[in-house]
Amino acid sequence: MRNLKAVIQYECTTSFKYIWIFYGIMYAVIAFITVLVGISTGDFSKVTTNCLEINTLIYVGILGALGFREDFKMLIQNGFTRKYIFIATFSMFCFISGTMALVDTAAGNLHHYFNQNYDSVFGGIYGYKNLFANWLWLFLLYVAVCCLLYLVVLVINKLGKSSSICLGIAFGGAVLVLIALFKYVFSRELVNSFINFMIKAMGFMADGTINLLFPVLTLLTAAAVLGGGAYAVLRRTELK
Amino acid sequence: MNGIQIKHVTKQFQEITALEDVSFNFEYGRIYGFLGRNGAGKSTLINIIANRIFADSGEVLVDGVPSRENMKVHEKIFCMSEADLYDKDLRIRDHFKWIGRFYESFDLEKAYDIAEKFGLDTNKKFKALSKGYQSIFKLTAALALNVPYVIFDEPVLGLDANHRELFYELLLRDYENNERTIIIATHLIEEVANIIEEVVLIDKGKVLLQDNVASLLEMGYSVSGLAEKVDEYCAGKNIIGCDELGNLKIAYLLGEKTPLPSGSGLTFSTMNLQKLFVKLTEKGDC
Repeated sequence: MRNLKAVIQYECTTSFKYIWIFYGIMYAVIAFITVLVGISTGDFSKVTTNCLEINTLIYVGILGALGFREDFKMLIQNGFTRKYIFIATFSMFCFISGTMALVDTAAGNLHHYFNQNYDSVFGGIYGYKNLFANWLWLFLLYVAVCCLLYLVVLVINKLGKSSSICLGIAFGGAVLVLIALFKYVFSRELVNSFINFMIKAMGFMADGTINLLFPVLTLLTAAAVLGGGAYAVLRRTELK
Repeated sequence: MNGIQIKHVTKQFQEITALEDVSFNFEYGRIYGFLGRNGAGKSTLINIIANRIFADSGEVLVDGVPSRENMKVHEKIFCMSEADLYDKDLRIRDHFKWIGRFYESFDLEKAYDIAEKFGLDTNKKFKALSKGYQSIFKLTAALALNVPYVIFDEPVLGLDANHRELFYELLLRDYENNERTIIIATHLIEEVANIIEEVVLIDKGKVLLQDNVASLLEMGYSVSGLAEKVDEYCAGKNIIGCDELGNLKIAYLLGEKTPLPSGSGLTFSTMNLQKLFVKLTEKGDC
């Protein structure tokens, strides 16, 4: 357990400082653009922005990708098994996602409170009534994105460049086939029931109410499937 | 301590067989020279022992415990690799701090002491170090760890002569004070010849020989003279190589010496470890 604690600490500590560098740069850029546009138009009230969480999504995506590239080598050098490496990396994803979701929830709601024209991603979809649901939804979304990119990088590493390109083309083709199936092959009832299922999965009920538990469960399932997939690939990953 | 047991290990990379049914033991409390030409399979086997890659078949046991995906061997074995696997953005002192947290047996004080002896700046980031000092950092980490099995893969890569001497000195001093198994995989055979006790020679994915250095040097010798006389003497002996120049011939043999026929004009010479290695692994015909 001492080793597990140490490796989790390593993963979290070495990633934590970069969060504040990211937020520092992001808000500095926003402030700069605001001042620039405000001065040039002479009206600061017209300067607006929305959905700043998208930036965090890009950041956690990069974090997910780097979670393999650098840390796997470092931890395998220090004698850790792939199971420990996965637990440590996943813990880091949760820690960073939790922290960033907290910052984004606070920032998004404060931003909206002082400027009604601003909408956060969660607020724009589900409203601003439940702060905890906002944090949990963002947290799970960030974890799922981390796991997705982690899985993608692991698969690319496993297959190599050429096979990964082929897989990417095959995946793109499969998406097109799926769209064609929904549009031309499947019956109207089947398509409608699928769309209704997806709408429900995102929390929008048939009676017009919003159920916040369903999107949480949906994202939890996505994170678990992607995380499980990443572990399945990592277990077979060799140092190159 | 049962040592490291390598049992029927086979590893294939696409069409290339890197290791073919390799079986031997590294016993506890010895210094091994793990020798082989480029592409012989040394690093592949080291990576399998260190759980960095997987064997297609066979297994590696460290003190009877399978090394594959097993945290029970974490405090038993450490592998200093030729490849740079450390976090390049961390300072050396932070690396020491983390290695100290990862391994119970890491002696932080000893690490700083060794770093000072080498003149390693612990405030620098790994990426800011020269190739030689990156090797020195990796050596320092390995020497400061009191695990029973330490593997050095090309440990003196990029080190100048003074630093190489210092490393061998520290290694021997450490071994005197703290008996353990040290495995050195290197091309610089003559440099380690005086340090190693045992040799494992691997070639084309197979173990060519495993023996004690002293007995190998005793058994390896060369005979030179007229080709005809040399051939007569060598008949039925284990010839591992030969060089010819005109009518003169040198044959390299492994085995017990028999007296030279009187008046044959033949002479014996001893063979050093490097010569023995070269002759065992080259493809020359006699």
